[in-house]
Amino acid sequence: MWTRKGCVCVPETWTPVARSAITVPGPRSVVDGWEVSTRRSSAALRLSDASPLAKVSVRADPDGALAHALGVRFRSSHRRDGILVVGSGPGEWLLVGGVGAAHQIAEQVRGLAAGDFVTAIDVTHGRALMRLTGRDASRALSKVCAVDLSDAVTPEGAAFRTSVAKLTTDVVRDDAGAGTGEPSYLLHCERSSGQYLFECLLDAGMEFGVEPSGPTVDGGGA
Amino acid sequence: MIGTASRRLPAQTGELVDRSRPLTFRWDGRDYEGLQGDTIVSALLAGGVDVFSRSFKYSRPRGVLSATFVDPGCTVQVDAEPNVRAAHRRLAAGMDVRPQNVWPSLRFDVKAANGLVGRFLTAGFYYKTFIKPQRLWPAYQQVLSRFASGGVTSRQNVHGYYDKRYVHVDVVVAGAGPAGLAAAVAAADAGCSVLLVEEEYELGGHLRYSGEASLSMLSELRAQVAARPSIEVMTDSVVTGRYDDNWVAVMQRDVGGAIERLVKVRAGVLVAAPGLIERPYVFAGNDLPGVMLSTAVRRLINLYAVKPGERAVVLTANADGDAAAADLTRVGVDVVRVLDGRAGETIRRATGRGRLQAVELEDGTVLPADLLVTATGWTAPTSLINMAGDRPVWNPTAARFVPSGDGLPPTVLATGGLVGDGSTEELIAHGRAVGALAGDRAEGRAGGSVPELAGEPHPAMFRASTHGFVDFSEDVSSKDVVAAAKEGYDSSELVKRFTTATMGPSQGKLETINTIAVLSEATGRGIEDLGTTVWRPPYAPISLGALAGRVFEPTRVSPMQSWHEEHGAVPLLAGQWIRPDHYGAAAEEARNVRENVGIIDVTPLGKLALSGPDVPKLLNLVYVNKWSKLAVGSVRYGVMCAEDGVVMDDGVTGRLDEHRYLMSTTSSGAATVWEWLENWLQTAHTDWQVHVTPVTTAYASINVAGPKSRQLMQRVVEGVDLSTEAFGYMKVRQGRIAGVDDCVMWRIGFTGELSYEMHVPASYGLHVWEALLEAGDDLGIQAFGVEAQRILRLEKGHLIVAQDTDGLTRAHSAGLGGMVKLDKDDFAGKPELAWHERDALATAPRLVALQPEDPSAVPPEASQIITADGGILGRITSSRMSPTLGHGICLAQVDPAVAAPGTVVTIRLPSGSDITATVREDLAFVDPEGVRLRA
Repeated sequence: MWTRKGCVCVPETWTPVARSAITVPGPRSVVDGWEVSTRRSSAALRLSDASPLAKVSVRADPDGALAHALGVRFRSSHRRDGILVVGSGPGEWLLVGGVGAAHQIAEQVRGLAAGDFVTAIDVTHGRALMRLTGRDASRALSKVCAVDLSDAVTPEGAAFRTSVAKLTTDVVRDDAGAGTGEPSYLLHCERSSGQYLFECLLDAGMEFGVEPSGPTVDGGGA
Repeated sequence: MIGTASRRLPAQTGELVDRSRPLTFRWDGRDYEGLQGDTIVSALLAGGVDVFSRSFKYSRPRGVLSATFVDPGCTVQVDAEPNVRAAHRRLAAGMDVRPQNVWPSLRFDVKAANGLVGRFLTAGFYYKTFIKPQRLWPAYQQVLSRFASGGVTSRQNVHGYYDKRYVHVDVVVAGAGPAGLAAAVAAADAGCSVLLVEEEYELGGHLRYSGEASLSMLSELRAQVAARPSIEVMTDSVVTGRYDDNWVAVMQRDVGGAIERLVKVRAGVLVAAPGLIERPYVFAGNDLPGVMLSTAVRRLINLYAVKPGERAVVLTANADGDAAAADLTRVGVDVVRVLDGRAGETIRRATGRGRLQAVELEDGTVLPADLLVTATGWTAPTSLINMAGDRPVWNPTAARFVPSGDGLPPTVLATGGLVGDGSTEELIAHGRAVGALAGDRAEGRAGGSVPELAGEPHPAMFRASTHGFVDFSEDVSSKDVVAAAKEGYDSSELVKRFTTATMGPSQGKLETINTIAVLSEATGRGIEDLGTTVWRPPYAPISLGALAGRVFEPTRVSPMQSWHEEHGAVPLLAGQWIRPDHYGAAAEEARNVRENVGIIDVTPLGKLALSGPDVPKLLNLVYVNKWSKLAVGSVRYGVMCAEDGVVMDDGVTGRLDEHRYLMSTTSSGAATVWEWLENWLQTAHTDWQVHVTPVTTAYASINVAGPKSRQLMQRVVEGVDLSTEAFGYMKVRQGRIAGVDDCVMWRIGFTGELSYEMHVPASYGLHVWEALLEAGDDLGIQAFGVEAQRILRLEKGHLIVAQDTDGLTRAHSAGLGGMVKLDKDDFAGKPELAWHERDALATAPRLVALQPEDPSAVPPEASQIITADGGILGRITSSRMSPTLGHGICLAQVDPAVAAPGTVVTIRLPSGSDITATVREDLAFVDPEGVRLRA
């Protein structure tokens, strides 16, 4: 439905299209308001764009009521009711949930605050999120990240902020989220450098046959 | 012509070559055939070639000596790659192999004339001769470069692919001979992760070429390694250095698509198991092609099935020499004489023109031969333990330097030939014990004991009665060492530096002991007194590409970058951000903003979400102006100064609701301001309830500017009254833009026009950008880039922090004195700014606008403003041609003496000529009253 406003026709209602910072090759379609690549890889090592997932940054007293309710300390993560809660800094959390759920997650967090001073901000659009999955995931990651990726130091659920290909990146060891029984890492960085990080990881994974894959937007990718 | 394989032996047990896979390659312009599994050198030897290079100084023909990576005569050029170690590098089909450091050819090299005058080219000749007169150095350099070795690289070479890898492991074992293999297995069995690094292409060390019994022990050890998934094996790789806290550098070759990979290893325990390197013997003619070490002969026969000669003399002082003689006899070489060094037998010299032809014995007997094999002792490569703090000591019984055992941290251990001698079983037992100990130490346990591995008695044979080369890489002879000692260079470190012995590509692995032994002979001091030189990293050569690895330079782009690229934007690199500088014609873009409406992508603008009841306190602290009364729905411009009163950043902050603010910073200052705020909150004011969340990239930021911008906004904005009365200058609103919720828009005007800066959730940035262009088509909308924005803001007289200010510019010198509110309780920089206002105002520089008198003049930025006698009064900080006004416009930092409006100043241009300009009343050239932006 188009209408005249001034001298040109503009739509009566706009249909916004959201786009990830990461370009994955392949045919594209709009799913849940996001223009995404429909390419799905079944290679032994996959790098998929998970940017459409809702991301909420939370700040609160590291020893307060919300910290207690979230139950996740700095440098670890866990999954509850389909939401991945990451302890990304002292008194700082990142919550990752299904596409479009950011407002709902932020409200839930405020509900848990019990009078604490809490800030929950939707950073869905501010962060690029990607997932590296496969038997050789840690070997590929170890080419661009100096952190010890062994089970002893960074077991399932470990979360850390470090330099990946010289870019400040938050990494979560999240095999469970991949749901394939393989090692899997979620990596998120500033949206503006998402494509850079994606390409660096593809480059590092080349010797392991890494393939890019489009976003999983059904919420299962968190 | 294909070289004939006349020297290829029938199949040998344990050979590495695959006779079903012949490979064709080129050597020195001719075609040759080798086998899969050959090294370049073994294939060439099999094809009848035995000269591979010319030596560094005297240009003497050189062939195989050790048949290992360090073989000094086997460095060649392969395709575009110089300095390939041809006795190590596996042959590949189609390789174009050429000799290097020859002129004009390998067969005839004019530099060989040096040999004729060799007695004048003694050690130090170069240092002494070419130092004077200094003005002739360019000429010397021209000639000397002909003599420098090192192959050729082309500027046309494509940059190779190199990368890095980080490894964290409990135990690193450097060397995979019998002791190293056993150590790796034992450490794995102790529950450790193990990295086993081997310089050769296969595991096994000398077991690979030492007969069937050794091979069966080797296959058992290899099976044990293969059965343990906790052992990672790297072959064709070398531990090049050990640094503090067991930071171990491993150079891995030809892996994962990379030419070389630097592996940065953090190891719990390092086990050094490098084995032994066979030491050459010093005698006249010891560098003739055809003179080889016993281990070279055994490698060539057993690994590559190459017959190293037809008629051999063997000088042996140990079991390996005996075994080499036996190998030669077995494959049909005529061994004409075996001399036993243990019984005091030796040789006098080797003779031949370009190749060995005869061996002269001490009694004068001359034996025609094309192969002379020596087995006169060993060098223990103590590099890694040396780097870990051990100073090796001379073991006179074994006639080699061995680890002292003192000075090593508990996390560095040694095993195998490096430590002592023994049967293969004893070496394996030692390796196993050391591996178990390494495992214990890596796991924090005390660990058990390790059996003794003593040095076996070995005759001390270094030099025959004649003089020969001690350093084949650098062409240093024993005579040079003796001469150096006579000149007073009588310590091992001095003689090394003066003669350059041990400083060539093989880095002392073959040369060190002979050099010290000859020095000992010349000085009469014992080898144990002289000591060995210090081995430093890297143990093996590393290419610069490998040290660099992948080139990681993070870049940042806005959500609209694809549109900019499709529309011909000329990129501007601003820090890490890639921004559109312009889309073809910046002045035209600027004019369009003044006349119609333009949009610019200002996503890099720093943005911080501030929340909490104490935000006003924070704003009052970090900004010089007042913030207590900022109403919901309003924005205010603020200036931040550091504690010294120097301007550090500026921007606007808007109050979105009671406890929620959005702060904008300069694009380059985003990270600094975030840290600045967190620093105050985390140190000085931990009690304040404020959270700072960086949201720079959460929003795509678009500035809509121009007289028609309201019209445009009305077409895309929903739920916000855009009338002047409802949404005035310096106000902020939240609403829906082109169907996108949660957008923030504020009315500010960096360009001096009516303008709206919108911050939309970044994923919708491109959607909103395209919607604006579509909706504004009939309004003459055009995108404009950073350059147009710079022109526009300069016309309006808006300063840019760090361009119109510098590291000394306090607020008053930036024309911002009026904003400084000294009646506030406190704020960052207050004491300095108070002093500045009270005592320094009269002398501090001022920011002024200048108009060149010549309307066509646009003085380059940084041009100086000078006095009549050339003294400096200031400088131009910003300068452009104004498309709106048709003349040059400038901002300048000037001395207060010339800051008064109407003053005419002289500007010195970089060309040296001067122009004049007038100081203006106001910083703004266009619309100083602000009518347009308040429209």
